[in-house]
Amino acid sequence: MNIAARNVAGRPIDYDAKGLVERAHKALRAADRILAVAKTGVAAKIAAVNGDVDAVQHSAHGLAWCATTVEGLRQMVSWAEGLNAQAKFNDFEQLILVAAFAEYLAQLAGGIAMNQGEVVRPEALGISKADIRAFEDTAEVQELIATGSSDAVKARLAQLIAEQPNATTFGNAGLDEIHGELVETMRKFALAEVIPFAHEWHLKNEYIPLEVIQKLADLGVFGLSLPEEFGGVGLGKESMCVVSEELSRGYIGVGSLGTRSEIAGELILANGTEEQKARYLPKIASGEMLPTAVFTEPNTGSDLASLKTRAVREGDVYKITGQKTWITHPVRADIMTVLVRTNPAEKGHRGLSMLLAEKPRGSDEKPFPAEGMTGGEIHVLGYRGMKEYDISFDNFPVPAANLLGGVEGQGFKQLMNTFEGARIQTAARAVGVAQCAMDLALKYAMERQQFGKAIYSFPRVANKVVMMAVEVMIARQLTYFSARQKDLGKRCDLEAGMAKLLGARVAWSNADNALQIHGGNGFALEYPISRVLCDARILNIFEGAAEIQAQVVARRLLEAGN
Amino acid sequence: MKILVPVKRVVDAYVKIRVKPDGSGLELANVKMSINPFDEIAIEEAVRLKEKGLATEVVVVSVGPAKSQEALRSAMAIGGDRGILVETAETDVIEPLAVAKILKAIADIEKPALVLMGKQAIDDDCNQTGQMLAALLGWPQGTFASKIAIDGGVIHVTREVDGGLETVKLKTPAIVTTDLRLNEPRYPTLPNIMKAKKKPLEIKTAADYGVNLAPRLKVLKTTEPPVRKAGIKVGSVAELVAKLKTDAGVL
Ligand SMILES: Cc1cc2nc3c(=O)[nH]c(=O)nc-3n(C[C@H](O)[C@H](O)[C@H](O)COP(=O)(O)OP(=O)(O)OC[C@H]3O[C@@H](n4cnc5c(N)ncnc54)[C@H](O)[C@@H]3O)c2cc1C
Repeated sequence: MNIAARNVAGRPIDYDAKGLVERAHKALRAADRILAVAKTGVAAKIAAVNGDVDAVQHSAHGLAWCATTVEGLRQMVSWAEGLNAQAKFNDFEQLILVAAFAEYLAQLAGGIAMNQGEVVRPEALGISKADIRAFEDTAEVQELIATGSSDAVKARLAQLIAEQPNATTFGNAGLDEIHGELVETMRKFALAEVIPFAHEWHLKNEYIPLEVIQKLADLGVFGLSLPEEFGGVGLGKESMCVVSEELSRGYIGVGSLGTRSEIAGELILANGTEEQKARYLPKIASGEMLPTAVFTEPNTGSDLASLKTRAVREGDVYKITGQKTWITHPVRADIMTVLVRTNPAEKGHRGLSMLLAEKPRGSDEKPFPAEGMTGGEIHVLGYRGMKEYDISFDNFPVPAANLLGGVEGQGFKQLMNTFEGARIQTAARAVGVAQCAMDLALKYAMERQQFGKAIYSFPRVANKVVMMAVEVMIARQLTYFSARQKDLGKRCDLEAGMAKLLGARVAWSNADNALQIHGGNGFALEYPISRVLCDARILNIFEGAAEIQAQVVARRLLEAGN
Repeated sequence: MKILVPVKRVVDAYVKIRVKPDGSGLELANVKMSINPFDEIAIEEAVRLKEKGLATEVVVVSVGPAKSQEALRSAMAIGGDRGILVETAETDVIEPLAVAKILKAIADIEKPALVLMGKQAIDDDCNQTGQMLAALLGWPQGTFASKIAIDGGVIHVTREVDGGLETVKLKTPAIVTTDLRLNEPRYPTLPNIMKAKKKPLEIKTAADYGVNLAPRLKVLKTTEPPVRKAGIKVGSVAELVAKLKTDAGVL
């Protein structure tokens, strides 16, 4: 590979590791001041429209993005400090830090892309020109932006990345030994059992083979964070994160399978009766029972609390009647967590309950061989391997004993309580997909020759890969942080929401730029990047569409006392 | 039957290694390290023998810096019962003979019926330790094993040799070194990774076994392999033949 044209042997930053961390700290404080101003500014905008957040969504969601950007930087500093304390904060990591700060600080001052078409400017957050000037004039902010956005930093990063194109992570991810080992194990598994086959599964719209699911089960993936007394492995969310990330890097379908059980498990573990836990958790943990989540309806997606599917109690059974849609992996699932309305007098979330409904496995020809259940496949762009279905229930029976927790009206609340875990897991999947896009981009860019050299030697190509590495690391650190908070028993809905928001954006932009690097070949179905682009697209839609996610984050930020 | 499995921590097979600019060795700072793949095969085989009830205990041992504990933990995650690390300094150069001497001392204490080890480590490709150990112990050896069958006190080892396959019969105690096709190591499961952290691991030094690590060989220089030159496209068979005659000089 010819990177000689960009060969920068020297160190493109003038200060040492400690100096860099100190500067980053100070710049972070300046960023925090901007965030504080934005909070006040947005609160004032909302007050001016009598508290109607929806009337000023651009600003409110902009605030969520502003806070996400700052939080990303905070977690990068804390990652850097952690590495530095172990003398592992080397050139690669330092350059990633400085590039991350340069980009995100500049975005805080100039505008943050909520997506390609919607950029939130400081004005929309009520940040004055004077505030921005003071921010930009802060010595550390100025210095980090100037250094981190330099060609020299990007060129050196490009070189470091190209030196180890098969690396597990580009830059030390800062995991401890045990989590590092989980990553290596999953990576090895994905390299051998997933990556060589994923694209064919996708192109043929095939299911992920049951043998692969069995292997995941044997590894212990399905019971990863369930307690040992229920047949689980008893690991925490951080482990769940790294496993989901690495499997999703192989194929999003596999990553989503691996921890889909995790969400059903959490729902039952936290809310189930003793009998429900004893009956279902060990089978979910062993992979004997595959779960599916049945919430969305044709007319209720984001506004889940208004859903209409009814469950009517007749003696010892509930009978479910209604339409569900967008249900992932229902045909091969053995147990459904179905959100239904048990009390029609309550139109909102208080009328909802969660049922644990068993069902027989079906096939493509006969997807739902059960009384009172029919459905058809929804053909999708990506996120294949499990298949999505529309489902109609017509007096589908579920034993009354399978009402989650045994009390009606708790369904929505029970589901909300699993959202932290689900968001963290989805953020981790996003990081995995974003990393997969980078892997493909790097490989192609180093192989493809134009004008007599590898296209990686052109800055516009390599810089894309460099920014992928930088943003993956930010999204990853934010995700790990949420997981670690959760493992400590701390509330982390805010950080988890931010991690999901950022992870989904990074997955999409990485996939998009990775495809760009492939040129025309990227547009050919034959190349895996065409799939990864489609797979990446889903992350902004499910588990809280980006707009809903931003709204939730904004609300939390503006809550009293915050 | 007790099985002793020596393992080495080496540069990961996926890593692109680079020579230090001054030619004094390889650039190993911050490079990903893993358990030597042949040793992984050895541990897998030992664990299979134990699972079949043919072995009672699998002891894994490594000679290397403190971080070699990671290799031992990986080996125990596959199923090794306990570990021994003979810790050396990060800067020590450890040659096959020194390792063989240490292993001999450990074999004298542990009295395994079988030492199952990789045929070579993928870092220095020496392919010597097993043979040296057999000589030091005076035990029979079956190298490059692609199949192992145990029948009482006799081990049948199928060896991959140039001409094909050869089967040798060894009386225990014996040394067997593993080749690539012996088995496909399993992925350690998440519970076993966790359990491996709690398995006993003894830390020793070479001095404990009375072995002097001082190297007997001197590395003069390490260089990168020559870079492959770009090929050329020829327009016709005639041109190809001409080039093979003139430029390549092979015809
Ligand atoms: C591949 C795939 C798999 C899925 N798997 C499952 C599953 O297994 N189980 C399940 O129950 N569901 C599943 N879903 C459904 C998914 O959760 C919903 O698609 C999601 O909640 C969004 O709902 P919706 O599609 O109805 O979009 P809508 O709610 O109609 O939203 C459409 C657009 O409007 C925006 N919007 C809506 N409300 C607001 C607002 N108040 N302010 C600003 N913008 C707003 C949204 O952000 C979005 O951009 C899946 C979906 C897909 C595509």
